[in-house]
Amino acid sequence: MAAVNLEVRSMAYLMLIGRLTLSAAFILAALPKIQDPAAFAISVEGYHVVTANLAMWIALVLPWLELVAGFGLLIPQIKRGSNLIIALLLVVFIALHASAWARGLDINCGCFNAHESEKTPGYLWLILRNIGLLTACIFVLIRDWQHRVRREDTSTS
Amino acid sequence: MLREFCIILLLTVIGVAYTLFSGLSPLSRAEPKLEAGEIRLADARALNAIWVDAGGAKKFEERHIPEALLLDEEDWDAGLFELMNTWLIEPRPIIIYCESEGCGKSKRIAKRLRQSLPDAEIYSLKGGSAAWQQ
Repeated sequence: MAAVNLEVRSMAYLMLIGRLTLSAAFILAALPKIQDPAAFAISVEGYHVVTANLAMWIALVLPWLELVAGFGLLIPQIKRGSNLIIALLLVVFIALHASAWARGLDINCGCFNAHESEKTPGYLWLILRNIGLLTACIFVLIRDWQHRVRREDTSTS
Repeated sequence: MLREFCIILLLTVIGVAYTLFSGLSPLSRAEPKLEAGEIRLADARALNAIWVDAGGAKKFEERHIPEALLLDEEDWDAGLFELMNTWLIEPRPIIIYCESEGCGKSKRIAKRLRQSLPDAEIYSLKGGSAAWQQ
């Protein structure tokens, strides 16, 4: 019984750490881009995936989506939706970085900073970091789902 | 779940509206701000400059600004030698460009070149060669 409690508590702490890490990452990523959407639009254009006009709209909407989803992870009423949105965003980011790397583009990531960077983008690091965040996201999603199913089973029985 | 998405969407729309009305919006594209060591195309064209392509050998072969020299990070010494020969014959401003505004290579190469040629006037082109093509 004590072992089960310990396991449950450990999982709860892990979930909390995962949620806080994801939340912090996305909030910190969003704030500089909200402050300077013009510079972020330039970063988006650098991926050569969308037109300049669409890049501007993405630069306008995406940071706010990241910010809302980042905070949303900590709000019980919208945490599942936020988690799912963050997972989808991470998949898109991984695909974009992989694509830019394959095409040999010299981009400014625009991840945590709106402006151009003088440093060469470390694609492998970017992709691995996002995979790490995605793993945390999926872990939290699965545990949330299992927790919900257990609660539903308890309430019906 | 649908309700959650609606709430998230609504909050995002409110945030976007704030950006639009606060004047931060990138939708009305103002003249881009210059950072130290950058130059706009209009100003660059007025100079009798030495143009340097930082986009790499492969992209240089496909397309480059007329009379531009190649300065590749991977073949730095050869590119620097050719640039120095050109510059020493007639010292002129040096303008480094890569393919687009989001490319950081021109700034990196400009920074490295300032160490090799401390007496030269060196700029990186704002907007990259995409600005030239417009």
